[in-house]
Amino acid sequence: MSALLTSRNVADVLSGVTNGVIYSLVALSLVLVWRSTRILNFAQGAMAMMATYIGFALLAPSTNYWVSMAVAIVAGMAIGGATERVIVRALYGKPEINPVVAMVGFLLVLESVAAAIWSTSSRGLPTPFSMVDWQLNHKPVAMSPFALYEIITAVAVMTVIAVLFEYTKLGLRLRAAAIAPEVSRLLGVRVGRMLTLGWMLSSGVGAITAVLVASNYFTGLTPTAMDGVFAFGFIAAAIGGLDSPVGALVSGVAMGVILQFVGDYLNSNAIILVALGMLVVSLMVRPNGVFTTARQRRV
Amino acid sequence: MIRVDDVSVAYGAVNALRGVSFEAATGAITAVLGANGAGKTTLLRTISGLVAPRSGSVWMNEARLTGQRTEDIVRAGVGHVPEGRGVIAEFTVEENLRLGAMITSRPLREALAQQYEWFPVLGERRKQAAATLSGGERQMLAMARALIAGPSVLLLDEPSLGLAPLVTAQLMRTVADLCASTGLTVILVEQNARSALRIAERAVVLYLGRIVADDEAAAVGRDDQLRQYYLGMVE
Amino acid sequence: MGPVQATQRFVATTVLCVVVILASWLGVATPRVALALVVVVDVFVISVSLLTSRSFRRDHPVATRAVLSLVTVDVLVAASGFFSATVNSNLAIGAAMSIVLLGLSFLTGSSGQISIGNGAFMGVGAFTVAIWANHHATTPIAMVLVLAVVAGGLVGLLLGLPATRLRGPYLAGMTLAFAVAFGAILNLFGSWTGGDSGLQLPYAVNAPRWLFHFYSSATSSLTVNSVWLADVAIVTTGVALFFMANLFASRTGRAMRLVRDNDVAAELVGISLPRARVIAFIVSAAYAALGGGLWTIINNAVTPSTYGFALSITILSLVVIGGIGTIPGAIIGGVIYAFSANVIAWITAHTGLNPQGNVASQLNGIIFGVLLVVTILFAPTGIAGVVRRWAARRPR
Repeated sequence: MSALLTSRNVADVLSGVTNGVIYSLVALSLVLVWRSTRILNFAQGAMAMMATYIGFALLAPSTNYWVSMAVAIVAGMAIGGATERVIVRALYGKPEINPVVAMVGFLLVLESVAAAIWSTSSRGLPTPFSMVDWQLNHKPVAMSPFALYEIITAVAVMTVIAVLFEYTKLGLRLRAAAIAPEVSRLLGVRVGRMLTLGWMLSSGVGAITAVLVASNYFTGLTPTAMDGVFAFGFIAAAIGGLDSPVGALVSGVAMGVILQFVGDYLNSNAIILVALGMLVVSLMVRPNGVFTTARQRRV
Repeated sequence: MIRVDDVSVAYGAVNALRGVSFEAATGAITAVLGANGAGKTTLLRTISGLVAPRSGSVWMNEARLTGQRTEDIVRAGVGHVPEGRGVIAEFTVEENLRLGAMITSRPLREALAQQYEWFPVLGERRKQAAATLSGGERQMLAMARALIAGPSVLLLDEPSLGLAPLVTAQLMRTVADLCASTGLTVILVEQNARSALRIAERAVVLYLGRIVADDEAAAVGRDDQLRQYYLGMVE
Repeated sequence: MGPVQATQRFVATTVLCVVVILASWLGVATPRVALALVVVVDVFVISVSLLTSRSFRRDHPVATRAVLSLVTVDVLVAASGFFSATVNSNLAIGAAMSIVLLGLSFLTGSSGQISIGNGAFMGVGAFTVAIWANHHATTPIAMVLVLAVVAGGLVGLLLGLPATRLRGPYLAGMTLAFAVAFGAILNLFGSWTGGDSGLQLPYAVNAPRWLFHFYSSATSSLTVNSVWLADVAIVTTGVALFFMANLFASRTGRAMRLVRDNDVAAELVGISLPRARVIAFIVSAAYAALGGGLWTIINNAVTPSTYGFALSITILSLVVIGGIGTIPGAIIGGVIYAFSANVIAWITAHTGLNPQGNVASQLNGIIFGVLLVVTILFAPTGIAGVVRRWAARRPR
């Protein structure tokens, strides 16, 4: 048994899952925004990065990790809400291309401002749990306390969001505002507020994700730390379906595992290429995602 | 009581309503009739605030509705069942009703129970996705969803659309009974003039955005000219 | 315009040309300079004469576009002889960027598709030129540039095929993934692409012998070379501009605009949606590759870090700020890019910022990013669009 657990393939699976839940979280953020406002938030990663800087770089370095995490989450929600009210709201009803362009521009601004204030050098964050792999019979298992923390946090976040949407009054309103905004208004739902809230939830989740990514001392916190993760997260969301939270979870984890094997058995440069290939193939077969509930447009 | 006071609405260059004025008495059913494009739906949307008039205003008793947001007008007691019903197909019957009940302070269980009493079919299908309902059932769901909040005014936009005559008749009966038992003020927009006139006390006829008749329902129903030219009721 | 006026025009033009020839012959020292002067001025005179003729413009639209491109190239080439090396260098870089912007402007404006990966397509062209030149040093530049265009077009086809089935945000995401993946692709073929440090061209690109003497009247060889490079860029841009103008006005171009505005209607009319979209994609990729190839020639080297995701965003910003879907917009964007470095340096100097500091190095990103957001919010048609609207309002 212990030989199995320390074997190369199981190690890849475990590492893959650890990476995969991060992609799932990013994908979930994108799904939240897409479902509420039909916009693909390209600045998602950058907003989350900025929130992390606010939580960890603005406050004194000696601040407790959990306090900084809480500040980052609040900052993230504030950024998300402000972005929806100021930028996104002005773009409703405009051509599809406009919000994409605006978010890309916003991404550039956020990364440049962060680099201007805090420079591009990597910043280490306090690590709340050890990153040393556990040992089984003196051989390492590809799981450390930190990795387990990542997985548990991700699962907890996804559960909270799922419960919120499916079982609470607020969730009902959020879903209604996204699916049928006019009808919802006729039922007294304050649709504008629901849209803002959707963005706030998305960027709150995003902030948690960025903190997890940045807490990894191999990468640390840089203005562009979330770029790669965002790319993978987007691919996961696109494959799973931009309107499907379940899709986000499944495709994120699946991608994490598959790419871990690719990196291990092939070449680390091949990882993004395989991911790109998966995206292309998946979108050709299922243009709206594998788990989508959207119907194909018919003339 | 709903009072529409000299309301004009334009969509860009198109005048949808021109100087429309009438009153819908409290506790009565007022039918709004006319052909396609006459402005009936626009009228309802103006009352519930989805559309802002270029001039004129809408009043509910002493309160001015025009200028307020739809969400607030609805909370003031105006229920609007839109054209096409607006049933949220992805939700279950019960979820649709729960959504409607958001703005009322009545306990949810009580409110739901009452709707299931008035519309037993909904009770049977409460856990089903709304997409699986028939046309008539969806219309009932849409009405129940508007009624669950306990409005004092109900705006109904073409409830008989796409429904078989038998179902339509049943629906109209239900509306009439509700109105009689709860004192609801109903404004009923219909292309199917005959079925509407059977239950309405008053009727208003629109033609190209203007009112061409405003009289007791029976009188409107008897007027041959109206019947032929504006209501398409060919005997 | 009647035949009398046409004859008058013809006579006037001929007389002017002859006068110029005589004046140059008698007044200028070397015969080569005289010849250059004659060519430049007479081309200008003839072009202006043709362009001011309404009947010519009306009856020969393609020729009109050709003449317009020709006269622009003519003026700029003449001017480049008098610019400093720095200005010429900026001009060359900006002209190459204009080509890239033309391609992207066509893609977004014509068929409504979004691409945030054109920086990577530039890289394809850039590396194609570098790799080819390193293995076949004798190929003339024109041929190498054509190769870059073909390479770009092929990659564009590769990505354009799946792109046809994707709606806006998904397509944008796919191009983003490509932009991010490009670096990995370069690394994967590191032996060809020179890894992190990139490649150098084995020779300095200079004017060929038969033209060399036109360029040798300047003092230093550095200035000569920069004039030549600027002229290469200008001529290439002129050619690219001509083709793009024709494409915009052609049936294909109009079909694509229909695809952009209402693809349901386009399908009903019988336009093959996928085909229109793929063509647009290929064109934008080919143009980007051409611009990248020019950059390699101008800089005499190529480094992978140039062609990262940030470049793709910059390209998108310039297209939007200049004016999506318009040719003047692309030119404006190129000009902005050409002199943005200077403007930013000026700002840094005048606001007392530390030029080596964090803020200064990020100023480029901050300004472009903010401009992009502000433009899309308040003036989505860009500078070209605003000018067009303002011009339309003026009383005739």
